[in-house]
Amino acid sequence: MDRREFLKKGGAVLAGSSGALGLPLLTSCDANVAREGSPLAGRKWGMVIDLSKCQSDCTACLDACRHENNVAFHNDKRWDVHWIRKVSIRNEESEDDAEKPVLLLCNHCENPPCAQVCPVQATYKRADGIVVVDHHRCIGCRYCMIACPYNARFFNYKENEEWPNTDFPKRSHGVAESCNFCAHRLDQDKRPACVEACEAMDIRALYFGNLNDPDSEVSELVASEPVKRIRDDWGTEPKVYYLGL
Amino acid sequence: MQVEFSKIEGRSLPFYLAAAVLAVLGIAGVYSTYLMSAHGLYLSGMTNRVPWGLQISMAIFYIGLSAGSLVVSGLYGIFGKLEYKPFARIAAYLAMLFLIAGLLSILTDQGRVDRVFVKPFTYLNVTSMFSINPALYSGHVLICIIYLWALFREKGALTKITSFTVCLWAIGTHTGTGAIFAFVPRELYNSALLPPSFVAAALSSGAALMILANVAVFRGTGRPMDDRLVIWLGRPLLAVFLVCTLYVLLIENAHRFYLAESREAGMFFLFGGFHSLMFWFGLIIFGCIIPAILLFVRRTGTSVPWVVFASCLVVVGVLFERFLIVIPGLIHPPELFPGWEVTGTVLWEGIVDYSISFYEVLQALGVLGIIGFAFLMGLKFLPLAPTEAKTWTAA
Repeated sequence: MDRREFLKKGGAVLAGSSGALGLPLLTSCDANVAREGSPLAGRKWGMVIDLSKCQSDCTACLDACRHENNVAFHNDKRWDVHWIRKVSIRNEESEDDAEKPVLLLCNHCENPPCAQVCPVQATYKRADGIVVVDHHRCIGCRYCMIACPYNARFFNYKENEEWPNTDFPKRSHGVAESCNFCAHRLDQDKRPACVEACEAMDIRALYFGNLNDPDSEVSELVASEPVKRIRDDWGTEPKVYYLGL
Repeated sequence: MQVEFSKIEGRSLPFYLAAAVLAVLGIAGVYSTYLMSAHGLYLSGMTNRVPWGLQISMAIFYIGLSAGSLVVSGLYGIFGKLEYKPFARIAAYLAMLFLIAGLLSILTDQGRVDRVFVKPFTYLNVTSMFSINPALYSGHVLICIIYLWALFREKGALTKITSFTVCLWAIGTHTGTGAIFAFVPRELYNSALLPPSFVAAALSSGAALMILANVAVFRGTGRPMDDRLVIWLGRPLLAVFLVCTLYVLLIENAHRFYLAESREAGMFFLFGGFHSLMFWFGLIIFGCIIPAILLFVRRTGTSVPWVVFASCLVVVGVLFERFLIVIPGLIHPPELFPGWEVTGTVLWEGIVDYSISFYEVLQALGVLGIIGFAFLMGLKFLPLAPTEAKTWTAA
């Protein structure tokens, strides 16, 4: 094979490879920098969950979330998506079998490992601290699910046939998602669907508000009550606090 | 030293048969990937608790294989061991193909394959190992091509420079691949020893594969080859790589087992289920210890059939090792509530299962088919294989 022939054959591969190597560096941008000065800045949304009030047989918040956000349910544990889910836990040391319910959702970490590993910035932390997924950008690599130590992220393995809330988009198969504190409702000065549903049941186990505002209900609870965060030792700085954990 | 390289004739029935089988596998893999893209990844065995499966395991296996090939190639390129010149081209070509196989495996595993060619270029996140690695892999393929060209054109100085660069780059590539897992906060992933352990196993599997590829090419085409060349690749090269692999695995697991905070996860890895059998029998005993003994014992270590047998064991053993990097870390649950037991749930919260689906197997075989086919075509259309490798005494 002479040089000309070799170059010709290798040309296509070469162009592709060098593109893959060089282009990202040229077009590199940091979306978080661009978002500085956004109207969202200054707020830091957080949630406090009072487990002493949460009832194990109530599913109001779960149902409201699923309906509001068109969260896929296929009746199969392998592929069901849960933006918020309820687990029961039992103290390993204790003699009795007393169980308590715990609500698990995205912790909207200050240091979110999911956003750190997302190769295309589809998952990112907004200026108001909410960790969101841009479903039109997600390539479905699922690295965020690997990185999230709380198993709070889910992937759409199947197409979601249900579309109960047509005001909010449903996701195609092939993208990851997780709770976004109902960011679209916050933008309309409403509170997350789960919080309102809990209130409608007159249970009031969920508190939501601006952690940067010292007078907000959540800030006062965090300041005055013995709140805990799940695995605080991991350094992720969750913004979901628990009372009675 | 003059080594004649020539294309193989590639007109025999076995050649056509092999090419046809590989092509069919490739097409089956493409079809399976199409089905998953159209209907969803539920066709794989992956779940919301085990979001990575066979394809990612295969990807890191292939990427690992490319390392050893380069080292063998580097024996000639960097250290000037002329007797390895006959193997240098095949080694460099295979290294390139395996990297492409790794990239193909990752590509076909994406939920939205259509976006992979756009979004990483417009929204790159430089803190993601998944962004850094494709750049490392593409660069790797690129340098391999330049290296191959230098080998084809017999450019002495350029061969040396590119060979050195590609070996250095390979360390980056493999460390980066290990870091995909090592740099995330999961109990069985998060270990600074994972990248070095990845490199050690990569060198073992790559050297073993070089032995198999060269024996297959020379025996298959009936070209003469000095057995001592292959034997030296097995002993000391592969044998030493195996000892390194065992050493890093030993330290990694001992460390996990020793610390109270990770003991439960360590126990789970070593004695917690089917994957533990894979670890002890597939990787440690049949993948490392037995081949190392076979290579170190003079009688078996100097016989080509035994060296080939040992190499087969190593390649399979390292395939298990790759699977063991990916899967146990996912099926083992994170400890969200230390001191508390999770009793009721809507999700799989405890230890879960992962079983490979038919479509996933098709995808994996598809990638194998595509690069196998490319290897055969390379032999037929490029002067990769030397007419003979009988240079021991001459060198």
